[in-house]
Amino acid sequence: MDSIDARLYLNLIRGGAARLSAHRQTINDLNVFPIPDGDTGDNMFMTIQAGCTPASLGADCTLSEMAKAVSAGMLMGARGNSGVILSRIFAGIAKGLADVREAGVNAFSRAMQAGVDESYHAVSEPVEGTILTVFREGVEAAAGSKDLDEYFDLLVSAMDLSLQHTPELLDVLKKAGVVDSGGAGLLYIAEGMRAALHGEIAETLDEAVPAPAHADLDAFTEDSILEFGYCTEFLLRLQRSKVDLDTFDETVISDWLAQNGDSLVFFRDGTIIKVHVHTRTPGEILNHCQQYGEFLTLKVENMTLQHHENHMDERFKVGRKSYGVVAVASGSGLAATFKELGADIVIEGGQTMNPPVERFIEAFDTVNAETVFVLPNNGNILLTARQAAEIYGKADIRVIPSKTLGEGYYALANLDTEAGDAQTIEASLTEAVDEVATGLVSRAIRDSGGFHEGDYLGIHGKMILTSGPDPESTLLALADTLQAGSFDVILVFAGADAKDPDGVRKALAARYPRSEVILQPGGQPVYEYILVLF
Amino acid sequence: MLRLFTDTDTDITPAVAAEYGYRLISMPYSVDAKTVYPYVDFNEFEAHKFYDMLRNGVLPTTSAISKERYIEYFEPEFAAGNDILYVHFSRAMTVTFNAMDEAVAELKAKYPERQFHEIDTKGITTISYTIVREVGDLLKAGKSLEEVLAWAETEVDKFAMYFFADDLKFFRRSGRVSGLAATMGTLIGIRPIIYMSQEGKMVSCGKEKGRLKAMEHLVQQVADLGEDFKSHRFVIGHTDAPELAEEVGKMIRERFGEDFPIEYVVANPTAGSHAGPNGVGVCFHAKHR
Repeated sequence: MDSIDARLYLNLIRGGAARLSAHRQTINDLNVFPIPDGDTGDNMFMTIQAGCTPASLGADCTLSEMAKAVSAGMLMGARGNSGVILSRIFAGIAKGLADVREAGVNAFSRAMQAGVDESYHAVSEPVEGTILTVFREGVEAAAGSKDLDEYFDLLVSAMDLSLQHTPELLDVLKKAGVVDSGGAGLLYIAEGMRAALHGEIAETLDEAVPAPAHADLDAFTEDSILEFGYCTEFLLRLQRSKVDLDTFDETVISDWLAQNGDSLVFFRDGTIIKVHVHTRTPGEILNHCQQYGEFLTLKVENMTLQHHENHMDERFKVGRKSYGVVAVASGSGLAATFKELGADIVIEGGQTMNPPVERFIEAFDTVNAETVFVLPNNGNILLTARQAAEIYGKADIRVIPSKTLGEGYYALANLDTEAGDAQTIEASLTEAVDEVATGLVSRAIRDSGGFHEGDYLGIHGKMILTSGPDPESTLLALADTLQAGSFDVILVFAGADAKDPDGVRKALAARYPRSEVILQPGGQPVYEYILVLF
Repeated sequence: MLRLFTDTDTDITPAVAAEYGYRLISMPYSVDAKTVYPYVDFNEFEAHKFYDMLRNGVLPTTSAISKERYIEYFEPEFAAGNDILYVHFSRAMTVTFNAMDEAVAELKAKYPERQFHEIDTKGITTISYTIVREVGDLLKAGKSLEEVLAWAETEVDKFAMYFFADDLKFFRRSGRVSGLAATMGTLIGIRPIIYMSQEGKMVSCGKEKGRLKAMEHLVQQVADLGEDFKSHRFVIGHTDAPELAEEVGKMIRERFGEDFPIEYVVANPTAGSHAGPNGVGVCFHAKHR
């Protein structure tokens, strides 16, 4: 192989992505920092994958155009510290390949050196023993090769050697007994590129981006202390109205960021600024940077939640607890509310989606408690829950007959695990269920029983008590019928399709001054409003 | 001569402190790793701004002051030949007084003639405010130190404080209320009633549905436990909830009449960091706590 053209370049990138993809988990497992910044393997893969499908270029496009398109893709897709550095490496290579149709070994070698320079430039304080070192030492060793085959052989072997030395350069690696994860990821990419150069398709490119790990919201509770801050990443487009684009020196931003955050990765590509920074106060970072431009993309993640996996492990380590709670709810707000109230697991489900028995069994396993109280919160689901309880032999399962979300809510709010034995607690929860009145507002989906499709219906138990042309007036009429004013608390969960929740809150507060009116975002489907009276 | 000290955890402002000649020891809290010393780092406590910050999700932390800081407060007095009476917030709620004990022991070795006295108000915020003022009133009226210390022996336990909080998350995080472990999470619409125990700790003693019931509970506590409260200071404290506090005041008036003054006090930021916004409490003279 004498030279690299646009098509081969893209193949090299795809080969690199494919090999990284196959070893993503290996890289993820190399994370040693007390708080992993996401998962290095996944982040690097998503970054390089974003470069694998460059915007459509003509069949006769030049290497220069292709390298630029690949780099632009990675810029948009860059995630995490190592991912951002990876995107910088390929941005540097693209710069090094400017204005060439194809590149021989010498031109490619120079471009790779440009990638080294660019990557060091992107990090405010380059640390040796990381992906930066591994790439630099590989590129330095390969310089002067007689052809591309030799170039990639030397590159790969020197990077491998450099990677093995990373623990000597970084104490944190030595202590954990591992090599640098970003460097390891880059080695896989280089190996994949070499395979692609030889025309081998080592591994097929896994097109599927791994589903973003479901953040375990329990990892950060109301009692947690913000220890690790937020991983904050964004692309900022400098605005002509805010800065003089011709003379603007981006170091005013990077210097400020370096003083106000950690793990800063920063670079400028034309009028786009990419920032990755760890901070306890993302709002300040964003406000500050917005004075120079506007955001193109934005991601802020609580790093304690990124710790998800470890957290789960710890949870299993602490052993069995005495009591646990499994509740069924639909809607993000309601799920969060039940979690806040102390439910260990919230199973997604409700009127239109009844969870199967297996979901309960899984939940019981996960809760890992001697006694588990179950709040099915729906008449149909109650039976499934009871069935699950019957076949489950590993814990004492007690199903509370809550038929509405309101009943479940109030029962859980009354849970006192020190009130006595399991039976006493079960009795008190069951009693609480009877103290609450629940009203539901939902839209009629067909003409029936004198109601027309599209009418809003106010439902209590199995009875339709009121109807109206909009959810708000229907709710107010329902509250009247249920004598809301005779209860101490009027709690309203606003559904995903509620139109004027705040208006409803004000109207209820005005109508029932002796009751406390509380509006909670429930986000539930099917019911515009859930009215809970207790 | 006797020099009086109290601390900012008692809700005493510099203006009130000056009425009695108290020197204020500033008890700090931290927001985003910035430590703030009340009335040192600011002159006026902007309660609404502070509690709004809590409403928006900021959870401040509080910290104990060091031995050296106590020495800075106390040594000039000892050096000038003065004795000290420090009326402070509850020992049972903090480790800061260990540092104070060390400071006092060190200073006593250096100034063996000098006397250090303390009155533990066995509380924080409103209840401490009430006791600090009552002590100040007695001294102003000419009572001797010995008389005041004897008064405190029995009377500190006769000031009761009952309050409710809007959101449990602040208490749960600080872990400073016992009896709450059993209820598991945030309780929307259900308010725990908390009182200051004879040991100087916050203890949960029940919960009420809705704000009105919670306010009625406070009034009922005054009816059940109150003793000679009209001839003592009657104080309603709140964490940036002046309307609620006044509503409680109105209910107190309706029940017990107009023939005694009611004072309203906003809780200091250090204590407020543990209680959270929208809480109200009553402090009154009682049979017991």
